[in-house]
Amino acid sequence: MQTPAGTVPVQQRPAASSGSAALWKGKKFIIGAAVVVLALAYLITVGIQSSAMYYLTVEEFLVEEKAAVGQRVRLGGTVAPESVQAVPGSTTLRFQVTDGQRNIPVTYTGIVPDAFRPGGDVILEGALTPEGIFNAEVLLAKCPSKYAPSL
Amino acid sequence: MTDIGETSLVVAFFVALYAMVAAALGKALNYHDLVESARRGLLATAALVTLASAALVYAFVTRDFSIQYVYQYSSSDMSLPYTIAAWWAGQAGSLLLWAWVLSMMGVVVLWQNRRQNLTLLPVLLVVITGVLGFFLGLATFVSNPFDRLPFYAAEGEGLNPLLENMGMFFHPTTLYLGYIGFTIPFAFAMAALVTNRLDDQWVRSSRRWTLFAWLFLGLGNLFGAQWAYVELGWGGYMGWDPVENASMMPWLVGTAYLHSVMIQQRRGMLKIWNMALIITTFALSIFGTFLTRSGVLSSVHTFSVGAMGPLFVSFILIVVAVSVGLLWHRLPQLRSEAELDSLVSRESTFLFNNLLLVGAAFAIFWGTVFPLISEAVRGTKITVGPPFYNQVIPPILLALLAIMAVCPIIGWRKASRANLIRNFLRPFIASLAVPAVLLALGVTNGWAVLSSWILVFVVATVLLEFYRGLRARWRGRREDPLRGLMRLVASNKPRYGGLVAHLGFVVMGAGVVASSLFSSSVEGTLRPGDSLTIEDYQVTYGGLNQYQTASKQVVSASLNISRGGTFLQPMQAEKYYHRSHDNPVTEVGLRSTLMEDLYVILAGWGNDGSATLKILVNPLVTWIWLGGGVLLFGTVVAMWPDRRERDRLVRREQRLVESEVARVGS
Repeated sequence: MQTPAGTVPVQQRPAASSGSAALWKGKKFIIGAAVVVLALAYLITVGIQSSAMYYLTVEEFLVEEKAAVGQRVRLGGTVAPESVQAVPGSTTLRFQVTDGQRNIPVTYTGIVPDAFRPGGDVILEGALTPEGIFNAEVLLAKCPSKYAPSL
Repeated sequence: MTDIGETSLVVAFFVALYAMVAAALGKALNYHDLVESARRGLLATAALVTLASAALVYAFVTRDFSIQYVYQYSSSDMSLPYTIAAWWAGQAGSLLLWAWVLSMMGVVVLWQNRRQNLTLLPVLLVVITGVLGFFLGLATFVSNPFDRLPFYAAEGEGLNPLLENMGMFFHPTTLYLGYIGFTIPFAFAMAALVTNRLDDQWVRSSRRWTLFAWLFLGLGNLFGAQWAYVELGWGGYMGWDPVENASMMPWLVGTAYLHSVMIQQRRGMLKIWNMALIITTFALSIFGTFLTRSGVLSSVHTFSVGAMGPLFVSFILIVVAVSVGLLWHRLPQLRSEAELDSLVSRESTFLFNNLLLVGAAFAIFWGTVFPLISEAVRGTKITVGPPFYNQVIPPILLALLAIMAVCPIIGWRKASRANLIRNFLRPFIASLAVPAVLLALGVTNGWAVLSSWILVFVVATVLLEFYRGLRARWRGRREDPLRGLMRLVASNKPRYGGLVAHLGFVVMGAGVVASSLFSSSVEGTLRPGDSLTIEDYQVTYGGLNQYQTASKQVVSASLNISRGGTFLQPMQAEKYYHRSHDNPVTEVGLRSTLMEDLYVILAGWGNDGSATLKILVNPLVTWIWLGGGVLLFGTVVAMWPDRRERDRLVRREQRLVESEVARVGS
């Protein structure tokens, strides 16, 4: 049954809005919606708790020592030029990530994204080993600065 | 031409501003000539922006490197298609593209509403020219594509080779059509609020625009996924990069809107909610454009940080403040005309569909801005990565799919037991066969079993619905099934188009589930003649070729693919080194079949002719793209012009004019 035109309002429901039946009718939707919202909130909270990670710059990492050895963090910085070495016969890469003053040695094993280049920005995910090397398990390279040339 | 372009851009900005003010005044003073002037102002703006865009494209094609933007994003060796696509390779040109597309949409809106919605028109003009003015202002004063290069250059820097992909033509353009398209339903919503025409007229009049924007935003996301899939290091088809998230959010909320307006049309309910949804969708579209165009969140897409950020934030705040203010003002008139009856009803499934869609959008939003919030609150950036989304989103999507199976065919108001049994018993039982077979085959992954059941349940209910419609036609008229199918779909295009779109999501869902749960990979360093085995494929490495082309050096590993001892095809996995750019471009070797993709990456090589390969087998990835095709088809059916709907809107307009005349006359 299509309403012929919006100018004619749909017939009002009979005024049964008094009494406990109507009260329950409204309530069960609120309860249903609340269950869904709570479930979503639970999913989000648990998701955040299990995957939250510090995002640190090289300075925060070295100077403020915000991350302990073995603690999984995200580390953002620039790949030091001239520091990139590929280990032959493997997909392991060694380089230094820098903020211009301080360097952290990094090893990464895996596929290197195309946008990775010496002098480019990277985000690493991993942890510091007791030997002081950042062992990266994820390497994200920002698109080259060519995207936003500064002239 | 450069001067013409630059001048047109500046003039377009001022004309758009004029049109906005004129339309607003014309509405406020009820002065029709001003509105007419604003209408022409929008047409003039459109013409001027077209001229400016043509000038920019002309500058690209004629290699006018005295323009900084042309210098930065093109070079003489680029082919014509990429030279034109360089229009939207950077920030300034993208803003111009935004403005141009919106101005064209504005022209179409004027044409569509030349005889109808005349009372809404002034407000439509204010919104469209206002948004247009914002983007033209940015393109004129903040990031102007016609800025001159401060020094002489004989050659441009060229397009980033990573952008030299078919995706460059389809991904940004479709995404923009989606983002920008939501301006139109938003404008209709505002017009309804201002003029107090709060029946479903604005919903009906903007319905096809909504579908259009929603479809293109979806396609834009899919083209982006496809591009990221073949482009290495962009994280597979969905990397949960902030910019990818930014385009998912308006799409999700837009999907919620698309569904909940049906309740308003049918039962006159959820009016406030619909307003809130379309406002949110539009604000998120602008937010998405902003994220792409700024560096607030670290992302693989980001351009640059600049004056753009504060301007965008202010614009979004103004949009939200004004529209929420209007909504608040009209709250008493937006009361529901009916109330919800039963949890087991069509209305109720729509309600939960909406909650889940908005919830998914919220989860993505929360994950995306979490670093900013944690930095503001605790002083350190805390990020959540793909694991967060992979944990939160799949359950929500599965619940949505389950609702998708029920919603289109459950009874309105209160579904009777008979209705439930008639519609669901057989699909329910039939669909249980699939998880049973999977379990029997030894699939133990709970997610796989559960999602296969839900997906098949959706298909079964949709097919049953088509079958019922066909059978009714066959009984009544003895139509042959094919013609009957056409007529059936034509009899209610929105409904059957929507059901087909649902099937598209099922196909896509199967692809996503299979490829994310059952992908396998192997890695190894091979000498010529060696091979790697993955699943039942055997990849044999033939040797390395290195050669030069005009613009790049190519390193190519030649491979032979066989399966179960039978030779299938040769394949190359390559890396390109462009002369003008630092970063390499990896061309993966890809063999796509309906069942699975064999995906080979050349990761490195040694001086002794050895090559290091990573090989993946990703099942059902093709289904994701095929599902997109089905979705496209279904949405086009749902959008197809409908004579009865048009007549209905025309009759309404006539009645409105007549009642207006009667009111004034009495």
